[in-house]
Amino acid sequence: MLIITRRPGEKLMVGDDVVIEVIEVNGSSVRIGIAAPKSIPVYREEIYSAVKEENTAAASADAAQLPDDLPSSTNT
Amino acid sequence: MTNDKKDPSMTVVLQSSRFGRIEIPSDAVLDFPAGLIGLGGTRYALLARSEESAFVWLHSLDDPELAVPLTNPWRFFPTYEVELADEEADRIGITDAEATSVYVTVRAAESLQDFCANLRAPILIAHGAGHQVINQAPDAPVRAPLFPTAAEQAA
Repeated sequence: MLIITRRPGEKLMVGDDVVIEVIEVNGSSVRIGIAAPKSIPVYREEIYSAVKEENTAAASADAAQLPDDLPSSTNT
Repeated sequence: MTNDKKDPSMTVVLQSSRFGRIEIPSDAVLDFPAGLIGLGGTRYALLARSEESAFVWLHSLDDPELAVPLTNPWRFFPTYEVELADEEADRIGITDAEATSVYVTVRAAESLQDFCANLRAPILIAHGAGHQVINQAPDAPVRAPLFPTAAEQAA
């Protein structure tokens, strides 16, 4: 991992077209601005990890595991 | 090639590990430019057993083993809302809510009471393209029980 010290207002380049700017440092939190091409989604890591885990779990389902239709106990 | 893709007479053959050989009309192929979060592939198709099926499969056309069950969130969560950050709506270019289909992924389990849907990361499909997005709505858990009644009865 590359570790760099930056001050508010200073920026980082990731490749040619992702710019990360340190906006503000306030105690233990840092506000960061990210400018990336539209094709690159930007996620909070904890959300990305949670969704990845959920997608992976969903993709492990067997075809036979899903009911053809809703069970009668639900009111649809 | 780009024109062929939308020719409905053309088909793409999917050799699915779950469902065997399936022919998909070219115009039913969905482009997922960013894939599904954490999963690979950019071409998918929706497989439904019937119009009334509670669940449909979003099947990868690039990986015969990759398929994710989806459902219509409003079937189970009538008050569900999807709220997109401006930059995300801008990124995926979806402006027309009317023309957009919304699905959520389903985590299947041995018993129905453990079935969950991911309300935090819905999948939006419009104009032949799909995107898994992060829902900014405050009440959108990653794991929402699909059958809370069944869970209560079992508890």
